[in-house]
Amino acid sequence: MKTIVKLTLLIFFMEVGTAWTQTLYGTSSGEISFYSDTPLETIEALNQKSGAIINSDTREVAVQMRITDFIFPNKLMQEHFNENYMESEKYPTATFKGKIKEQVDFTIPGTYSVTADGVLTIHGVTKPVTVKGNIASTEKGLKLEFKFQVRPEEFQIEVPSLVITKITEEIDVSGRMLLVKR
Amino acid sequence: MSKNFNNPIGLVILLFVLTLSRISPTKAQDDLLQMLEAEQSKDPIYTIATFKATRLINGQTVETISRNHLNFWISHRFGAVNSGFIANFFGLDEAKIRLGLEYGLTDNWLVGAGRSSLEKTYDLYTKYKFLKQSNSIPVTVTGLAGWAINTMETCYGMESGAEMRFNENLERYSYWGQALIARKFNERLSLQLMPTFLHFNKVEDPSISNDLWALGFGGRYKLTKRFTLSGEYYHAFSDPISYESSTGKVYPYQDAISIGVDIETGGHVFQLHFTNSRGMIEKHFIGQTVGSWADGDIYYGFNISRTFSFDKAAKHKDK
Repeated sequence: MKTIVKLTLLIFFMEVGTAWTQTLYGTSSGEISFYSDTPLETIEALNQKSGAIINSDTREVAVQMRITDFIFPNKLMQEHFNENYMESEKYPTATFKGKIKEQVDFTIPGTYSVTADGVLTIHGVTKPVTVKGNIASTEKGLKLEFKFQVRPEEFQIEVPSLVITKITEEIDVSGRMLLVKR
Repeated sequence: MSKNFNNPIGLVILLFVLTLSRISPTKAQDDLLQMLEAEQSKDPIYTIATFKATRLINGQTVETISRNHLNFWISHRFGAVNSGFIANFFGLDEAKIRLGLEYGLTDNWLVGAGRSSLEKTYDLYTKYKFLKQSNSIPVTVTGLAGWAINTMETCYGMESGAEMRFNENLERYSYWGQALIARKFNERLSLQLMPTFLHFNKVEDPSISNDLWALGFGGRYKLTKRFTLSGEYYHAFSDPISYESSTGKVYPYQDAISIGVDIETGGHVFQLHFTNSRGMIEKHFIGQTVGSWADGDIYYGFNISRTFSFDKAAKHKDK
């Protein structure tokens, strides 16, 4: 009986211990932009209010943004983006959740090239994705940069045939954010 | 405490729960997303695109255009569809035209100007969005103020048949103010109410009041993402009885009723419609519509709007 008590206590304190050392880095002002360039039209938009959290122990990552926070130089384009393509009243956010594959110790300063496996949810459709990026561990926090491509059709975002030549099949999405220690 | 630890079943449960919590990483991931959800900005989410354009058919909508954006409007109202095939090709042989420009000073404030071929009238107006529908505010409220000058030669014959004599240039002016109150009920349906006041410095007959109140009602229903039905009705609180008793003639002006469709293609909005009014500014279609749906005085017309962005500030910010 004594051993069980000891074992339980040990596991219990291990749990508490890990809970205490769980280090979270986060931001609510991450920049995410996307870009599509065809001879007919350049489409770009920037969201500077994206939220992101990295748990440096479990190396889990979560990113969330409001679709309506994407700012376009052309406001009419922004309206069409929200109204016709993203249906942002129905699907207000896009999210990514995943885990960094590399065993990186973020407490050691340096720049690490990382790969995150996870799921991306856009327009209410969830797809598995692998995102490549860099994480620089600095005094200020973790500087995260990433780039990947999205095919609108995979997320059931309809592009009418009339404008299909104005939008690339694969849209470049890139992100840059500084996550500070919580 | 020690008594509890002596209970092996309790210990096993405790062990089980603790182990379970360690081996469910997906739960932890959801927690991260939940944390983000909780941290997400509480800024109101404003309703966008209550209407496709700044005009519903003849009248305005609550919409303004964004800062440094320019709208170019080309509007035509052809002749009456009942004017005959040989004589007038169902009205398409002739048209009243209005060309207009509007510019967004801020995201909520625009200024506009236009020139109508009907009564050779120039108009200036400004529109300001006071209240925006959001997840906490139920309606959008926009105010409109407009002015027009009629540059016809004096003693011209009006559409109503009356002769208009101007003794001085001030008499050529008319003014209007309008409150536009709209709600986007869902992604398809938006409705709008437009209480309006008009003032004419000069009217053709003393029994017609220089001041005119009107109430408009309109709306749109999106059939598909780019194809929308729209309708608009303005009731003018005029006084036909005093006109008829003092002149012995039938009061010439009707309420403006219009129905149409909006077709949106990227930077353009095409509005095609049928209306009993040939005027495209408030003074004309609210105050001086002579056509009657009942008599078949229906005019086919269109508005085309093209938006240009002069906002370079947001461009290349991220490069």
